[in-house]
Amino acid sequence: MPSIKRIAMRVTAAAMAAATLMTSVAYADEPYTGYNYDWWGDPVPSQNGYVVDKVYTGADMGVDALSEPSDMFFSETENLFIADTSYKPASGSGKGRIVVTDKNFSLKYTIESLDLSGVQDWLDEKQSELNAGALSQADFSKVTNTVFNGPTGVYVDVDEGEETIYVADKDNDRVVAFTIDKIGDDKYKTAVGKVRTIYTRPPSNMYDSTVTFNPSKVLVDAAKNVYVCIKSITKGAVVFSKEGDFNGYFGANRVEATGEVLLNAFWKLIFSREQAKKMRRSVPVEISNFDIDNDNFIYTVTESKSAETDILKKLNSAGTNIYTNLGYSDYTFGDYLTKYYRGQTYSSQITDIDVDENGVINLLDLKTGRVFQYDDECNLLFIFGGIGQQKGTFNIVNAVESLGDKVYVLDGRKCSITVFKQTEFGAIVHEAIALFNKGKYEEARAPWEEALRRDSNYWLAYIGLGNAYLNEGDYETAMKYFYYNSRTGYNDAFKSWRMNFIRDNFTLFAVIIIVLLAGIYIISVWRGKVRVRKRAEEERMFKEKNKGKEDV
Amino acid sequence: MRFNLDMPAWKWPFYIMRHPFEGFEDLRWKKAYNMKVALVIVALLFIVSVCGELMTGFLFNHSSVKIFNIVPIVIRTIVIFFTWVIGNWALCTLFDGEGTMKNICVNTAYALVPYIIGQVINIILSNCLQKTEGAFITFISYVTILWTAVLLISGMKTVHQYSIPKTILFMLITILAMVVILILLVLLVSLFQQVYIFIYSIYTELLYRFSNLEPTALIFIFIGAIAAIFAIVVAAYTAYEKHQIAKERKKLNS
Repeated sequence: MPSIKRIAMRVTAAAMAAATLMTSVAYADEPYTGYNYDWWGDPVPSQNGYVVDKVYTGADMGVDALSEPSDMFFSETENLFIADTSYKPASGSGKGRIVVTDKNFSLKYTIESLDLSGVQDWLDEKQSELNAGALSQADFSKVTNTVFNGPTGVYVDVDEGEETIYVADKDNDRVVAFTIDKIGDDKYKTAVGKVRTIYTRPPSNMYDSTVTFNPSKVLVDAAKNVYVCIKSITKGAVVFSKEGDFNGYFGANRVEATGEVLLNAFWKLIFSREQAKKMRRSVPVEISNFDIDNDNFIYTVTESKSAETDILKKLNSAGTNIYTNLGYSDYTFGDYLTKYYRGQTYSSQITDIDVDENGVINLLDLKTGRVFQYDDECNLLFIFGGIGQQKGTFNIVNAVESLGDKVYVLDGRKCSITVFKQTEFGAIVHEAIALFNKGKYEEARAPWEEALRRDSNYWLAYIGLGNAYLNEGDYETAMKYFYYNSRTGYNDAFKSWRMNFIRDNFTLFAVIIIVLLAGIYIISVWRGKVRVRKRAEEERMFKEKNKGKEDV
Repeated sequence: MRFNLDMPAWKWPFYIMRHPFEGFEDLRWKKAYNMKVALVIVALLFIVSVCGELMTGFLFNHSSVKIFNIVPIVIRTIVIFFTWVIGNWALCTLFDGEGTMKNICVNTAYALVPYIIGQVINIILSNCLQKTEGAFITFISYVTILWTAVLLISGMKTVHQYSIPKTILFMLITILAMVVILILLVLLVSLFQQVYIFIYSIYTELLYRFSNLEPTALIFIFIGAIAAIFAIVVAAYTAYEKHQIAKERKKLNS
């Protein structure tokens, strides 16, 4: 029985992998165990793709300790911008600052205050609104504040070498875009942001007047449209034009078809309008974070514990989700299973996303503190990180970024940035998957084989090797690799193998079929003859028996 | 008579398969119920189910081969078969059914032959066909299941001498009876588990009480106690038997 043999092989392979893993853990001393998912959706031990390189705190960067930082961003100029949300400035007014370092974490400058002189027209407009009573004094002083009040999101748009910094200034109800003119020569290299545009709450005839405008994240596309993520809005991200005009919403999630939603839809058919009004409204879950890649696709994530769909979306400029239009809608992101462990339920809550220049996606799971790395076809590559106190584990993860082959994770409670570096195994897999996704299956064969030598549990390697052999026309080997790893791959390989098999042995098949047909014909003829003879015999016996009698 | 019905016992299932309606009548008329053949068919059903789990081609195999467990298969085939037989007998005897347990068992088993043959064909086909040709497999399994259902109705009708609507009604009620039997079985099993837990907790209790004793000594005491109870029961039984024999003798003597 081939399957038993296969199972035995797999068990040995798993044991060997576990043994290798144990030694590698002992060597690399990681506080988390690397794992991955196999074809069955079961977690299996795996080699670590990323290990901790170093941990940086505020002191390492040359500034005061960070205080609940909630976002960071690597600009195209390879500078790191950190939104230090709860920092108390020495001046006493405001809350929060932006810390800017280069990629080696040496301080470039910090921003604590803003200069609004560049937007005098806008200020005058707001002043007149205040005088007309369209704007309250509190709101006016918020949006025209010269200091931050809890900045939770930062994005940098580099245009011809000039950095424009966009900050989601959450408790000031605004997003500010500013540039830096000159950097102070004090200890913290304090710089003042020269404001270009301020994006505030849209006029109430376009924007629901009952919901607040507390921007939590911000990003800018190539056309300089500003996308603002607001936790209280379920219609998607709020989009502003470059000049600060409200353009609409972008990329709302779908309403998940739960039992309650379906039941409500049924009742709505029956209820009168007054009754229907009193029902709970079915609204989609809000998007909680996003990122944009080089081709201007926007990726959104949903943090909700209960959400099953639209966890990660890849949206084109029309707002259509690429990842559900591929024909598969059963993508799973984060951990596959909800685990109950020591009185706590663990189900993935994806809080941040980062897409690097190769299209590799890093998802950050708030609940388990893990980073889930996917390629651009949503194949799970690596899982690393965790909850804990050691290096490489976190308390409350807030942001993930990547630069080159390093992944950076920001911890809001530990107030530090952990740098993960790629292992040798990680490099092999990345090389292989890059070639594989370009369709260069044969070139990817050597790295996949190497990956499999290091970790025989690594499921993607089987797919890669199967495709390589399938492309070469070695269908039998391809089938071997696809067996219990990919049904579609196995089907393709098997189809071609069967075709070849029949073609090669056509004479044999023809002879067998002819012999069978002839055999059936001869037997039927013979049986017919026997039957006729038997019947004649019976008739004769019958006649003999009744010879003496008159009528029969 | 076109067919010679004096055939060996193993040919009967195939004859019945080809004659769904008169086959069982002939079987009844010839009184050719054969328990051995029926049990072989049940065994084959079990084997085919195991093979279906293990040997169905990868493209069509949706069972979890990673953890192969034989207990569900035993329950799915053998246990369900015998619960059906017992449930049907227990029910239909009360409602003018003429079938004995043996006859019901044999008829049910003979009705399963098309399903088994269909499964075998499917296992072979699943290793030769590709995904898009899977319709053949579905077709074969539907046809054979339908055939088995027809045979089962015919068999139950013949064995109890019912009308067709009554047969179908009592087959449905039999399913309910099976559920009841299985629930009782589960209860019984859990009861025995409770007994086991009871004895085990006595053992642990003793272990704590006499913690100064060696555990091995305790085991000996425990075994000794059980042996003593057993000995008393045996002694009482032999005494009773002696008494009975003496009574008999007295009767004979008088």
